[in-house]
Amino acid sequence: MHDARNLDGAGIPPLVVASTAFMQAAEVQSKALGYEPTMVWVTHPIQDRTDEELRTIADNAFEEVVAKLTASQ
Amino acid sequence: MPTQALPDGLVAVVKRDCPTCVLVEPVLRQLAAAGTLCVLTQDDPTFPEGMASVIDDTGLERSYGLGIETVPTLLRIEQGRETTRAVGWHRGEWEGVSGVRALGVDLPDYRPGCGSLTTDPNTADELAIRLGGFTFKSRKVEIGSHEDEHEACFDRDWSDGLPVVPPTAVRVYRMLQGTRRDPKEILGLMPPDYEPCTVEKVAANAVMAGCRPEYMPVVIAAVEAVLDEPFSIHAVVATTMFVGPIVIVNGPVRKALGMNSGVNALGQGNRANSTIGRALQLVVRNVGGGKPGGVDRSTLGTPGKLGFCFAENEEDSCWEPLSVERGVAPGTSAVTLFAGAGVRGIVDQTSRTPESLARSFAACLNGTLHPKLFGGLDSIVVISPEHLRVFREAGWSKRRFIAELMDLTTVPVEDIAIGVGGMTPGMPPREPGAKVAKFRQDGLYVVHAGGIAGMFSAILDGWSPSSSSRITTRVVRD
Amino acid sequence: MTMNTTTTLIDPTGEHAAVKAKKSPRPATLDGITVGVLDIGKARGDVFLDRLAVRFAERGIKVKRYAKPGPSRPAVIETRQRMLAETEAAIIGLAD
Repeated sequence: MHDARNLDGAGIPPLVVASTAFMQAAEVQSKALGYEPTMVWVTHPIQDRTDEELRTIADNAFEEVVAKLTASQ
Repeated sequence: MPTQALPDGLVAVVKRDCPTCVLVEPVLRQLAAAGTLCVLTQDDPTFPEGMASVIDDTGLERSYGLGIETVPTLLRIEQGRETTRAVGWHRGEWEGVSGVRALGVDLPDYRPGCGSLTTDPNTADELAIRLGGFTFKSRKVEIGSHEDEHEACFDRDWSDGLPVVPPTAVRVYRMLQGTRRDPKEILGLMPPDYEPCTVEKVAANAVMAGCRPEYMPVVIAAVEAVLDEPFSIHAVVATTMFVGPIVIVNGPVRKALGMNSGVNALGQGNRANSTIGRALQLVVRNVGGGKPGGVDRSTLGTPGKLGFCFAENEEDSCWEPLSVERGVAPGTSAVTLFAGAGVRGIVDQTSRTPESLARSFAACLNGTLHPKLFGGLDSIVVISPEHLRVFREAGWSKRRFIAELMDLTTVPVEDIAIGVGGMTPGMPPREPGAKVAKFRQDGLYVVHAGGIAGMFSAILDGWSPSSSSRITTRVVRD
Repeated sequence: MTMNTTTTLIDPTGEHAAVKAKKSPRPATLDGITVGVLDIGKARGDVFLDRLAVRFAERGIKVKRYAKPGPSRPAVIETRQRMLAETEAAIIGLAD
């Protein structure tokens, strides 16, 4: 979150990709920092997935990532 | 005064850090033995030791509610209301309040108490906010303990690029004590967002600027002047040209605030000069929303847009102050707002006659914005003591000086026609012999300031011939 | 200051918008844009981000890769500065 805010403040619009397990932490940090980055959520869990499964998750998220990199905020 | 759920009987308010409270510990035990005694302790809940009904009042809520100013204080409560109290230790008074005889026979007859913690300067303001019913109308912003509060202000885009003092509730409350105006009073709608600008918002930005509470009346007057329709603050913020609001202060408030009208008057180093100008710009930026890169499209801007405020030297001037020129009664404090650019120097260290010196001023004035751009401009001349001396010794009034400058800055059109001097800018051709004045009628003002050594005066350039901003003066009120 | 205390500030703005930090405008298109991919260092995140990078390459979108020393610390200043100089948009992942 800090990295996203720092980049955003300096001219680079960021997109944060996170698993849904991060949702609560994201909300708390956003509120504390006064900053809400653009998010792309992927399904949890991540840690115990195979490489193949992770690549599929990335493929499924790709179009949303592309769209949100250029979407108006 | 009604007490919150204190039982009928006696109430003693004490703190351990008070020699008199320690002195009367045996008396408290006597009173406890003789009837109902409730002890409120302000600092240490274990004092006095070993007594049954000691109430921890380290939050000071009960002391504040009872209006305690001194400890120890002994009160009698009957049917939920205070009937009488004794302040400090005085045997006769304590026996009167308690109805118990022979109190503290080994003690001196009386001993003064100490200040109650509710009167401590560090806590009094915090208590007024927490317990005194003072509420802020503005939104509150919570900063977590992991976040540096100075960085937090930068991150929320409240800063003009320099660090600001975080506007905590206590600081804003203290700043509001500097004015009698109601914090909820709306001074106007600040462009470009046209949001209501309350006295409270001015105080928050004055805190951020680093003002002292006593500067508030001047800051408020400056904000009011800027919100005056003729000043056109929206246009001043949005222009591509250089200008920002310049604040010139007249009257007794200058000395009261320790403002600088002497050496380096237009420069840095004086808290009132630097922070009053800055507070105004922070209000414009934060309440109005006009920021560089957004509505503020100034091509180059000027350092003065961080804040530009100074005081006129009235005491050593033979000419009337700017405020009097602008119609304010002599001796009344006022601020004059001018949409101005930077500081252009007039260096004339050799002229001995007023005629020659006036021509030096005029030659520099003719260069305002561009040497061939004439008609409808405005400027402020800041005349230094050494230069003023030349005119004073020759008996020139301010009116004569300005008239002379207006005359010397009125030139034949053909001298500054388009293309003359190989420069495209200039006046379109007119009939032969036609002249054009550089400045608007009532477009030239003169202020006296500066150190006593140095034959240098200055021009504060105005905006442009088509500028909609008019110089504006506002009386300072408490 | 103790942990979990908060400081209350009085909002000095016109409250025109929600209190939020500055946001940069997004590019209209990714053509000609270099996207920075910042790996925050959580386990398995690299596999995910590697795949995104492959897909970007297939799409003809330029990508530059960056990494943090660890997930619980902000990116080192040099990394941030490089991203400012070398990219026009950023992806930060994979948080969980």
